Amino acid sequence: MPWTAHLVLAAAVAGVVAARPPCAVAQQEPSSIVIVTGQQATLPVPTLMEGPQATLANNEISDHLFLRLAAIGPELVTSGDRGFQPQLARSWSRRDSLTLVFELDPRARWHDGAPVTARDVTFTLKRAQDRSIAPRLASVTARIARVEAEGDRRVVFRFREVYSEQLYDATFHVPILPAHLLDGLGPSSSAWSAFAGRPVGSGPYRWVRREEGQFIELAANHDFFLGRPGIERVIVRVAVSSDARINLLLAGEADAMDNIPPPTTNLARVEAAPSLRLVPVPSNILGYLLFNQREPGHRDRPHPILADRDVRRALIMALDRDLLIRAVLGPYGHVPFGPVSSQLWIRHGAPRHSRQDQSTARRLLAGRGWVDRNGDGIRENRDGAPLSLRLLVSSSSVARGQMAAIIQEQVRQVGVHVDVVRVEPAVWIERRTSGDFDIDFSSANLDPSPSGLAYSWSCGGPGNVGGYCDPGADSLLQLATASPKADRGLWHSFLRRVEENSPAAFLYAQTFVFAVNRRFREVSIRPVSSWSALWRWPPPGS
Amino acid sequence: MTAWLARRITQAVVTFGVAVALMFVLMRLAPGDPLSRMQEDRMMDPAEIAKTRAIFKLDQPIHRQFAAFVKGVLRGDLGLSIEHGLPVNTLLASRIGPTLLLGGATILLNFTLGLWLGVRQAVRRGSREDRTLTALSLAGYATPSFWLGLVLAWLVGIKLHWLPVAGMQSPLLAPDAPWLARAADIGAHLVLPALTLSIVTIAGTMRYQRAALLEVLRLPYIGTARAKGIPERAVIWRHAWRNALFPVITLFGLWLPLLVTGAVFVEMVFAWPGLGSLAAGAALGRDYPLVMGTALLAAGLVVTASLLTDVAYALLDPRVRYT
Repeated sequence: MPWTAHLVLAAAVAGVVAARPPCAVAQQEPSSIVIVTGQQATLPVPTLMEGPQATLANNEISDHLFLRLAAIGPELVTSGDRGFQPQLARSWSRRDSLTLVFELDPRARWHDGAPVTARDVTFTLKRAQDRSIAPRLASVTARIARVEAEGDRRVVFRFREVYSEQLYDATFHVPILPAHLLDGLGPSSSAWSAFAGRPVGSGPYRWVRREEGQFIELAANHDFFLGRPGIERVIVRVAVSSDARINLLLAGEADAMDNIPPPTTNLARVEAAPSLRLVPVPSNILGYLLFNQREPGHRDRPHPILADRDVRRALIMALDRDLLIRAVLGPYGHVPFGPVSSQLWIRHGAPRHSRQDQSTARRLLAGRGWVDRNGDGIRENRDGAPLSLRLLVSSSSVARGQMAAIIQEQVRQVGVHVDVVRVEPAVWIERRTSGDFDIDFSSANLDPSPSGLAYSWSCGGPGNVGGYCDPGADSLLQLATASPKADRGLWHSFLRRVEENSPAAFLYAQTFVFAVNRRFREVSIRPVSSWSALWRWPPPGS
Repeated sequence: MTAWLARRITQAVVTFGVAVALMFVLMRLAPGDPLSRMQEDRMMDPAEIAKTRAIFKLDQPIHRQFAAFVKGVLRGDLGLSIEHGLPVNTLLASRIGPTLLLGGATILLNFTLGLWLGVRQAVRRGSREDRTLTALSLAGYATPSFWLGLVLAWLVGIKLHWLPVAGMQSPLLAPDAPWLARAADIGAHLVLPALTLSIVTIAGTMRYQRAALLEVLRLPYIGTARAKGIPERAVIWRHAWRNALFPVITLFGLWLPLLVTGAVFVEMVFAWPGLGSLAAGAALGRDYPLVMGTALLAAGLVVTASLLTDVAYALLDPRVRYT
């Protein structure tokens, strides 16, 4: 037999042995869903998701397993007491402006059948406020003075001060843990206990198994007190590469994917598949160019170029931000007014962003002494120093890389030279946090609460790496945060002030694009905790 | 021979130690911080950063960190992965199986099909078959593995639906399914990544084997064998091929560690849960404990493979004498 025949025969045998029926694996079980994601959950246990474990993947799985006292409602309003939906607490009321009382739902049960009690809530909050266990949680719940149980079903939260997000602080940050299973475990041992390997919660799904680097399997909690989940099995499959994730989706081996990343060709591939539908969801991602107002390497000195507000404003005016978004994100993003993501409720009713105006930009620069003196197209100051800046970009983001190239060209048109410096993520964050940049292409993952803006946009904010400071804006921020009700007007005053100061060019508030197989007809994806409403989805075909 | 072996083993142990120590120091001298990846798109509380640094001893001077690392290694404890939050031992143990499976399948394909094709080329030197195989193997060698992987996944997985496009097993297959069904499932998932890796690496084996065999076929003892009337098949496979295997043994020694930790792109494209992608992710995220765990493994493999190659030479080649 000639050698080619050997080869063909061998290939054919291998093909027959290995091949299975056409893949569409996910569709073999009508009541299952396979969600493909980029990162595997490693420790989806409330109060243990700190530091390296405070990942989106852990939070997403935790939200299937554990419930909060209440969840943020569809309007995503974090201020006041009315924008929330009952979960473990069936109702809440106020004793006074510092005291919130929660009545637990008597039907609530842990996956092992034990009832959820007020002791579980006090136990969880005690752990959350212990800085040695959960420094991040302790920090965000610092304004809760104490939590007390009154009987088995009532919990009383006492706050240190009056502010509008008391209910948000009491409910959003910490899902409730089962005290009866964790009480005896010390803070250091619990991370490695059997519980962490097989968490027991009170949510719509219970833990089944985890295959390291491959997937996590959850099963419906048939006794879930808010209603039996329509989908029996949830598989959260991991593929680090977005190409692999999209391939799994297109091959029918996954039913859903959480955020198809740019470039837009990825979206086009998925959109072209008749079995898939795209679901846009407001994200908490905000992209912006942060102007360093302190000199790199000498934080005590002002930046020689960017300390000047008119120069910063000119740079913003030089940019066509709508074009940037259309080119890189397609229809899935908008230009924000101030540092506001698509999820923040204060974005509604905010003024519109300023449009590109290159003639004003040129006028502003000329007014500050930046003129093209040698005819090379780049402006110089009176000493002949060119208007040249370094734009620091993390190489991990395709979208930011593409945008940086467009930005470079847009500012060149007004006589500003920008060098795009692409560095790997670890180097980028090190240079960013140490202030070693002129302009940083930042991408922030914002809290659903506007009070989190103080982190980067207040004088003393720990994330204020650009050296921005306006005590007037800080006062407005404090007023808005302390207001007892959701006051958009106050927040908009703060945003206006930030825009006037121009500490950054706020480029895009991204909309995530999820993909879901069309066999799931009634699909609801929440902006905060994407898959937490999955249990309400009816089974496919119903 | 015994003295040589003892010296060679000592040399291997020292090389291993130096490699690991260098890796430890270089990793810490590189710009970037282990907490970087988690801060890339999330704001971290200063207290949270301080606690994380303390847990992973990142707040200690480098010599103390090294001492703690060595002490841990001697106890068999490689520490906790910063990013995964799991013991490095557990992570390595969970990834070594898939890695060996993929690497083993690739080596098997390379050193069966590759050797066979290399022999055929040498025997038919200058023929159309030889030229065609040379062109094809070089084309495979010149193809970037991630591109080839994407093309194969698109064609075989998405368009034809013949094979799964990614992963190592179907998550919907029950864990208590019969072992044959599970083996078939893993086998089906293995085909595309193994094929991709083999296509881009088989050229090396073929070229080495062809050149080595041509060299041997020119030697007088082959002419003598032919003159004695020994059938050509026996001349090639029994007399010539065995002596033409030595360069290929060297190649095997070089590839063994590469196939364990070097299949990064193929693992990524096919979401194969191997050590390559784990190591790459750890290096990018400056996950020091995990980087050191994979470095220990890789350095151990390089040194062991090199040692085994030398020993194989000593045992198989009567011309080689070690004193």
